[in-house]
Amino acid sequence: MVVSRRRLLALSAGAAAAGGLGLAGCGSQRSLGAKDEITLWTWDRSVSDKLVGAAETKGIPGAEGLRLSRTNIGGNYNTKVRTTLAGKSSVPDIIAINWDVATYFPNQDEFVDLNDFGAAELKNRYLDWKWKQCVTPEGKMIAFPMDTGPTALFYRTDLLKDAGVSTDPAELAEQVPDWDAYLAFGRRLQKSRRNTVLFPHLQNVWETRLGQLPARYMTEDGEYVGGRDEIREVFELGERVLKDGLSAGVVQDSTDQYGLITSGRQPAAIGAVWWGQLAPESAAPKTKGKWRVTAPPGGAANVGGSFLAITRYSKNPEAAYKFITWLQSPENQSSAYDEMSLFPSSPRSFELPPMRKPAPFYGGQRTVDVFGKSAEQVKTAFISPYDRMLHTVFFAGMASLEAGKSVARAWKDVQDKAERELTREGAI
Amino acid sequence: MLGHTVLMLGVVITVFPFYWMFVMASNTTADIFSYPPKLVPGSHLWENMSKVLDKTDFWGSMALTIVAATGTTILVLLIDSLAAFAFAKYDFPARNVLFAIVLATFMIPMQLALVPQFVTLAWLGWVGSLKALILPGAANAFGIFWMRQYAKGAIADELIHAAKVDGAGFFRQWWTVGLPVLRPGLAFLGIFTFFTIWNDYLWPLIVMTDPGKLPLQVAVQQLNGIYTTDQSMVIAGALMSVIPLIGVFLIGARHFIANLAAGAMKF
Amino acid sequence: MAVTESVQGSAGERRRATAGKELDGSRPLPGWRRYWPMYAAVSPFFFLFAVFGVFPVGYSIYLSFMSWDGIGDMKGVGWENYAYLLTDGDFWQSITNTLIIWVLSTVPMIFLALVIAYALHTTVRFKAFYRVAYFMPNITSIVAMTLVLGSVFSNSSGLLNNMLRAISAGEVGWLSDPWAMKVAVAAITTWRWVGYNAIICLAGLQAISSDIYEAARVDGANNRQTFFRITIPMLRPVILFVAITSTIGGLQLFTEPQVLFPDAAGNVGGPGGEATTIVLYLYQQAFIFNRFGYGAAIGWALFILIAVFSVINWRLIGGRDELAADKRKGKRRAR
Repeated sequence: MVVSRRRLLALSAGAAAAGGLGLAGCGSQRSLGAKDEITLWTWDRSVSDKLVGAAETKGIPGAEGLRLSRTNIGGNYNTKVRTTLAGKSSVPDIIAINWDVATYFPNQDEFVDLNDFGAAELKNRYLDWKWKQCVTPEGKMIAFPMDTGPTALFYRTDLLKDAGVSTDPAELAEQVPDWDAYLAFGRRLQKSRRNTVLFPHLQNVWETRLGQLPARYMTEDGEYVGGRDEIREVFELGERVLKDGLSAGVVQDSTDQYGLITSGRQPAAIGAVWWGQLAPESAAPKTKGKWRVTAPPGGAANVGGSFLAITRYSKNPEAAYKFITWLQSPENQSSAYDEMSLFPSSPRSFELPPMRKPAPFYGGQRTVDVFGKSAEQVKTAFISPYDRMLHTVFFAGMASLEAGKSVARAWKDVQDKAERELTREGAI
Repeated sequence: MLGHTVLMLGVVITVFPFYWMFVMASNTTADIFSYPPKLVPGSHLWENMSKVLDKTDFWGSMALTIVAATGTTILVLLIDSLAAFAFAKYDFPARNVLFAIVLATFMIPMQLALVPQFVTLAWLGWVGSLKALILPGAANAFGIFWMRQYAKGAIADELIHAAKVDGAGFFRQWWTVGLPVLRPGLAFLGIFTFFTIWNDYLWPLIVMTDPGKLPLQVAVQQLNGIYTTDQSMVIAGALMSVIPLIGVFLIGARHFIANLAAGAMKF
Repeated sequence: MAVTESVQGSAGERRRATAGKELDGSRPLPGWRRYWPMYAAVSPFFFLFAVFGVFPVGYSIYLSFMSWDGIGDMKGVGWENYAYLLTDGDFWQSITNTLIIWVLSTVPMIFLALVIAYALHTTVRFKAFYRVAYFMPNITSIVAMTLVLGSVFSNSSGLLNNMLRAISAGEVGWLSDPWAMKVAVAAITTWRWVGYNAIICLAGLQAISSDIYEAARVDGANNRQTFFRITIPMLRPVILFVAITSTIGGLQLFTEPQVLFPDAAGNVGGPGGEATTIVLYLYQQAFIFNRFGYGAAIGWALFILIAVFSVINWRLIGGRDELAADKRKGKRRAR
């Protein structure tokens, strides 16, 4: 390695020049992307790739001369969005927001009010509860409905057949109506394959069961209700799952979680509609045609589902609004379901042809019949600005149960922690 | 013989993860997860690598990382060699106090200032920009300390005198006397800085918010975050991110290791 | 050690430099005209340091008394962040985790580094190859290698558990069992740093004068005796250097646990947060939960912890000055 003085000087001159250009060029760009670009941040599989791709290449319908530029963000999406808002640089025009849109309510000034663009006209197109989640207590509409997450029981017919269990959707739904039956179903599957599980980890039990309850952590009046018996029973349910060896105890969101599907160790799952894309269709493509869906044990629920919001940094909020409403029109929502299993938040899409197509991955089953029914029966619980934080606390509690804590201990720790955090946030 | 046996065993353990990285990157995800797992390289390397190129702006990340690492390295070499030359070879009021401050900055863990540094950059409007990657890393106290130790031993007083007699000022002395002698030390500090910036993770993870401008480390971690289910592709990305580094290292390895050891002995 | 030695050294030099100027015979220039180039030479560092070091550190004191999500308005909360910190079980857990991982990695690392260094010292052939091979892990990116090793440690489909199963030894919850998780993180750290430290130890071994061994041999000492009576004591300063650097590095551990245990809905450091280190906890609080003020307070706690450990280290070294001086003498003689 030789560093000659001449080279050092030449390089530094170059670096200084480049630095100077950089300083002059992009001193402090608040909004991300070029002038004719509307930038959109999403996570993988949150929006239709086809429609977004069309807006990227052909331009945004209704906004002449403007193109879309979409980026998939990995890792913790929420962290990335918030860090960017705090950094006040390169903020995209539109961001996708997950189920926890309420956590952005305290920062509502960061977003434009969609009512300013006439969003109210479209209200009757969308599910009422979904629409309500977009509006802050002050009446500002900071987000627009995207997909919802009705749940179903997913199962692999070949593995169920080996265990001598009925594989007909209607029959199975009848045989496995509730959680007791579901655990018995799991034990039966274990007789043909010893290490069979029904859950990757207890957090999954938590998430699925919580969605089936009529209330979550807080009431609309700001009262904490995460300590009620109904919730404690989920911890006891978790203990039973452990006792039966029906949880694999893998790390949440790790590769192992999907390895369970690939290897067939987990032959069934209660999952939201998007789970099908995420897990079997991508982790076990070879099992195509062997999967079916049916009504979930324990009742219908909504898990996940997302929103789109326009930031106050947007170069052209009007065009951004046009894009959002176009992307989420009933027609486009129904084709997004066909393409990406994104379940519409607009009931009008349910009857459109793309949604009625048989799904080859599910052996030609018309899956909308199952999810549509589930969507109708969903109990919609209030989601508070503290739900994400509380979700983290309760997830940790379920994980500690899995790691060997007793129900009593895990429960007490979770309640203490929840109260402590809520007090600190000034919520109670 | 025993020595070689121990050493070879150690080498096998040390090198194994590199081999395994190659095995994973060249098989399909299903092969990796199946039982028994594939233990030998497969034939899907190009397929996995092209998936990485397809789904991420890999070359953009690579270019950004090279520019950031090179930019920081040059700045560090300039700033540190100048300061070290002055500290080692000249006397000026408050020199010792200033040098003590340089040493004291060793004590401050970068993480202490993590949050306020981010806020500072947000005020400057630099979050997500190349400047955020380069400038904070250019204040390198270790480099000054190390170069000063090096300069003290390497630059003979007589040379500086001779230059002075010829009428050269401070900067000319630095240029004609200091730099040529400091060259091996600079080469080491340069590679060291380059590797450090290349491999830096926590700071870019926080400050590089623009997804179109992700340095390699963050890009690879994001790849894992987005495509968790396709491990062979993720590992192919990891492989691609370390190949240039290993290349640079193998070229300069001897020199680098020798200097590193010598540097440690100076403490 | 570094500090005392260099400050003492500079006093000696000042005499030399001043003496040199007198020899010149040139008349001294007035103050600033003579000195400005030196100040100009050291100023870029101080400028950058002021902007990216002094100011943020000062500002973090202010921030630590605030409640702020980084986006909305700041609110002064007095000592609340610190009060919360002291009673925050997760924070204390992160300290315990960090220290356990540090011990689990540093002890085997120093031992293995010494063994490898000694083996390298006594072998003649392939030395260059060995040195490069052992050093490789240290220069390759932690993120990439942690991803690879993460798949080796993976509970259900990882190579390690597959091997254990093949020999019917059951499986270990590398990514879920509280202790095994720490072992996994420590193993990755050890893998990365053993070679580096072995090279440092090797340099220390090579600096020991052969005269001393010669003398010992004349006195009839056997290999074992020379190793424990001469090699290890003479290596003490080097071992301490290794210990200091791995202490500072160990207390700031972040990347390995962060990549190995991807953030699951805000929970970091794997199940039960058993692999959450202090810096990872700071990251979680400040950047996942957006508690900038609390993050600043954790930063100060980390600072105090590192300061305490540094003082302990300096104490330990204080008594070794003589040895260090001996070592240097030995080096000079060897040349």
